[in-house]
Amino acid sequence: MRSSVSGLEHAPTPTYDEDLYRRAALLDPYPHYARLRALGPVVRLPRHRAFAVSRHAECKQVLLDDETFRSGAGVAMNPVINRMSRGTTLNSDGKEHQDRRDLVAHRLTPRALRAMEEVVDEKAAAVVDAALSRRHVDAVDDLARALPVAVVPDLVGWPLEGRDQLLRWAAATFDVLGPANRRAVRAVPAALAMTRFTKRVSRTRTLLPDSMGADLLRAVDEGRIGPSECPALLIDYVAPSLDTTISAISSAVRLLAEHRDQWALLKDDPSLVKAAVNEVVRFTSPIRAFSRRVHGNGVTLAGTPLPAGSRVLVLYASANRDERVFPSPDTFDITRDTSQQLGFGHGAHGCAGQGLARMETAAILRQLLAKVERIELRGTPTWGLNNVVRTHSSVPVELVPAASAAPDTRREP
Amino acid sequence: MKIIVDRARCEGHGLCEDVAPDLFSLDDDGELVVAHEGDELPEQSETAARAAVSSCPVAALRATP
Repeated sequence: MRSSVSGLEHAPTPTYDEDLYRRAALLDPYPHYARLRALGPVVRLPRHRAFAVSRHAECKQVLLDDETFRSGAGVAMNPVINRMSRGTTLNSDGKEHQDRRDLVAHRLTPRALRAMEEVVDEKAAAVVDAALSRRHVDAVDDLARALPVAVVPDLVGWPLEGRDQLLRWAAATFDVLGPANRRAVRAVPAALAMTRFTKRVSRTRTLLPDSMGADLLRAVDEGRIGPSECPALLIDYVAPSLDTTISAISSAVRLLAEHRDQWALLKDDPSLVKAAVNEVVRFTSPIRAFSRRVHGNGVTLAGTPLPAGSRVLVLYASANRDERVFPSPDTFDITRDTSQQLGFGHGAHGCAGQGLARMETAAILRQLLAKVERIELRGTPTWGLNNVVRTHSSVPVELVPAASAAPDTRREP
Repeated sequence: MKIIVDRARCEGHGLCEDVAPDLFSLDDDGELVVAHEGDELPEQSETAARAAVSSCPVAALRATP
């Protein structure tokens, strides 16, 4: 990889003095990413006391080198949350991480998910039918949110009483992973409320049977994890599984409304859905970035010395628009090779729920393709504000029914 | 060149199958089946194998030189 390029060892590290987490940058991050990539493979971010890694090759290199670039000291951009979130799968390394991941991985492998496919398809059909009957809908509320909210809490065994808060809590757990800006501080009460709730349900054992949560309780009973580990792991399962998939589904609907040619390709050949989902994830990158901490004696990355203890911001969203890997990276093209996209992360910490996320997004797309002639934007889509997740707050669309799926209102007298 | 699979890491996401269907497939149980696993690959398969190794989202695949 590029890390061994000689002659760069003593070049000064470029600096980028912008705040990547201020409102305007959250709403329109890509110009910042393009400037970071142009500046160099590693760029100093004085505002965030971190180094930005924005090109694909180095992002991947960092993600594959868990020994050097550790998650155990936190992946947030502020030290308070990094201390508080110890005990999660996200914030752990090596064997500890693999053990935690193994607790649930068996429920999330595509193999295990096959058993869920029918249920997910049925729920996706119900979601699309309900939206189609109203014709004018918000793709965020009516298409994107409905499915993960119907699928994930059951999978995790989340008690029914705690579901109405889930989206707010989950978004807060992402906001607090940013720097200690106002947005993160404001999200703290909701993140703490979620922690309190998971502590209570772990104590009262009110998780639904035959679920990931029930698996955790069994692992506690069998002494494989301590009871105090349960609440953090529950948050680990739920929080990343909602807004991320919601982001992918709402972006998919928007992008297919805007790109008629791509919609037509899918209509002609629905087997392209899988590729389309990957391209949506590349193009949107629901998780902008996480950070890692340099362990040991420091390391040289792409010729840039990084002292021990440095925080490195891995910008997945930028890597996914890196012109070195993706030709015309700002073009949405479901026929491109997306096998190198990093939207689900990569390596040991690669998204454990990616199979489910793909399944949910594909299920909605297949239903739309079967029942909708075309999707028309009926207003300007708006982006939501979150320190980590990039997702729409609203995508107003009209679903024009396919002839065969249209309600039969024109019967001859 | 040989392909080595870390079975403990493989979660069956199947991206290798998309990239190199001649070398990788998931069987009916979702278990990964690798052509020439652990053996020297035919030279014409090496490019596809490298692409597949690189696509594995959980880094469960390795290629030895």
